[in-house]
Amino acid sequence: MVAAGSDAVPAGRESAVTVRASLPLFRKPSVLPGFGLTLGFTVSYLSIIVLVPLAALIVKSSGLGWSGFWTAVTTPRVLAAFQVSFGLSFAAALTNAIFGLLVTWVLVRYDFPGKRLVDALVDLPFALPTAVAGIALSALYAPNGWLGKPLNELFGMKVAFTPLGIAIALTFIGLPFVVRTVQPILQDLPPEEEEAAASLGASRLQIFGGIILPAILPALVTGFALSFARGIGEYGSVIFIAGNMPGLTEILPLLIVIKLEQYDYAGAAAVGTAMLAVSFVMLLILNLLQQWMRSRHAR
Amino acid sequence: MAIQVSGITKRFNDFTALDSVDLEVRSGELLALLGPSGSGKTTLLRIMAGLESPDAGGLLLNGEEALGLKPRDRQVGFVFQHYALFRHMTVFDNVAFGLKVRPRGQRPSSAEIRRRVTELLDLVQLSPFAGRYPAQLSGGQRQRVALARALAIEPKVLLLDEPFGALDAKVRKELRRWLRKLHEDIHVTSVFVTHDQEEALELADRVVVMNQGRIEQIGSPAEVYDHPASAFVYEFLGQVNRLDCTVEGGIAHIGDGALAIATDGGVQGRAVAYVRPHDLGVTPAVGGPARISGIHVVGPDARIDIDLAGLALEAEMDRERLATLGIVAGDRCAVHIDRARVFAR
Repeated sequence: MVAAGSDAVPAGRESAVTVRASLPLFRKPSVLPGFGLTLGFTVSYLSIIVLVPLAALIVKSSGLGWSGFWTAVTTPRVLAAFQVSFGLSFAAALTNAIFGLLVTWVLVRYDFPGKRLVDALVDLPFALPTAVAGIALSALYAPNGWLGKPLNELFGMKVAFTPLGIAIALTFIGLPFVVRTVQPILQDLPPEEEEAAASLGASRLQIFGGIILPAILPALVTGFALSFARGIGEYGSVIFIAGNMPGLTEILPLLIVIKLEQYDYAGAAAVGTAMLAVSFVMLLILNLLQQWMRSRHAR
Repeated sequence: MAIQVSGITKRFNDFTALDSVDLEVRSGELLALLGPSGSGKTTLLRIMAGLESPDAGGLLLNGEEALGLKPRDRQVGFVFQHYALFRHMTVFDNVAFGLKVRPRGQRPSSAEIRRRVTELLDLVQLSPFAGRYPAQLSGGQRQRVALARALAIEPKVLLLDEPFGALDAKVRKELRRWLRKLHEDIHVTSVFVTHDQEEALELADRVVVMNQGRIEQIGSPAEVYDHPASAFVYEFLGQVNRLDCTVEGGIAHIGDGALAIATDGGVQGRAVAYVRPHDLGVTPAVGGPARISGIHVVGPDARIDIDLAGLALEAEMDRERLATLGIVAGDRCAVHIDRARVFAR
């Protein structure tokens, strides 16, 4: 990894020539110069920022050996935390995909007083320290909170310190991802396609399902994937509202912190590695799905 | 009649796009809405299709009040300047769309849809491209797909918004001929919008010339070209020399009396005479009042710039005639006007 970095440093014409000779497969005639330099920079940058820490994580967990690793990640407590983290992140991302799309739709398609304010509000979950969000949410949804009390008295619903609370926190922090990825696509959608569909006899539902949704679906999936990934890694906003009961409302990041506090570094690294593997596979699948959808657009 | 527009007015904020427009489109005809940009022609077309609603006025489609109808209920085929094809659908699915979205009771069977789409693709000569996506087609092909898609719903009226505007000159000409032929075959009432006078004159049965939200003239291509109703129409249709003049007793004096022409109307005083370049005759004359300032040969024709006592004129003749006259730039000559129209100022 580090070797790749030193390879890429030399600049100028000579290094470009050597790269051209050594990478015949990737070389396509192009008016843009600097392929060798930029690729080298990209690889070394990604290595230092992303790959080296991840590799260190895997190396650390490999100290346990294969069987030790397997035992560490298949204890009932870890498996339950997997279910909580991935299941609730998925549910929250799905909620965001649906309602985030609705928010985007309103922001793009309609004009109303205070629209810019609402538009700015969407980004707040990005900016707010997650712990602040978590404390605010748990205060709101606690059994004696503003929302928790009526919900409990009227519907017998408990939100704080249940999986539902976790889902709400994850939905809160994931919303901007969906809105901000779908918004530009929806904005650039030419109105003529919808007008053409309308004059051909399509109903509003048919126009949405047949014309608009296919066009924004790749962006929607991206937003979903980002929201999902963010949810899996989220820590600050969840731990306050979750109640953190092992096997029930304990999320994976918290479990890792608990293991660290018990000086079980290898165990923590093992859970982290397993999380990484599952997330990577899921994001890869989402990416492939997107690519397939884009290729159908043939554009 | 197929379409009757009465008193349609449309404003966008303080811009009046259409100012109480009345128009009758006859059943089966091919009508051109011709005008410069901002003249309201596209707005009028979009109102007919239901894509825009007017502030005032009435619209009858086949004798039925249509303003209350949604676009989907008007049975109108609309073709957009930039095609507006569904990007994520193949050519086949694009054409089939209008049939597939029909309510269950009226929807043809899938075999019937397949048959009709194939038939339409044959009609627009695109059968080999049924499986392609719009992005894989040329501009001319895309516009033919858009036309097939609009025809699939068997519209009572076909509306085309600058259908050839985005195409290059050669394809535009081909597609124009092809559309004329198609219209002769299927005879669906059609209205198309264009700012290209040549296109309107060549293609349409009747031409509606629009300017600033009003109709200036309605007539056959020959009528509007030969007998323009207003100065605007004269200037908009083809090249024209615009000459300030003074009319006294039926005679228009141009350029301090360098030229004089008889007028037909009752215009008196200061006026403007409009002379087409091909109605301006040139004869070589040593010591004549005018001077040839330049000759430009454009294909089979020659354009001659003339300087008549400081007045710039443009004449047009074929190259054969130019050779017979034997004039070159810098020669003195005499000019005479074969035909002119004088409008009061």
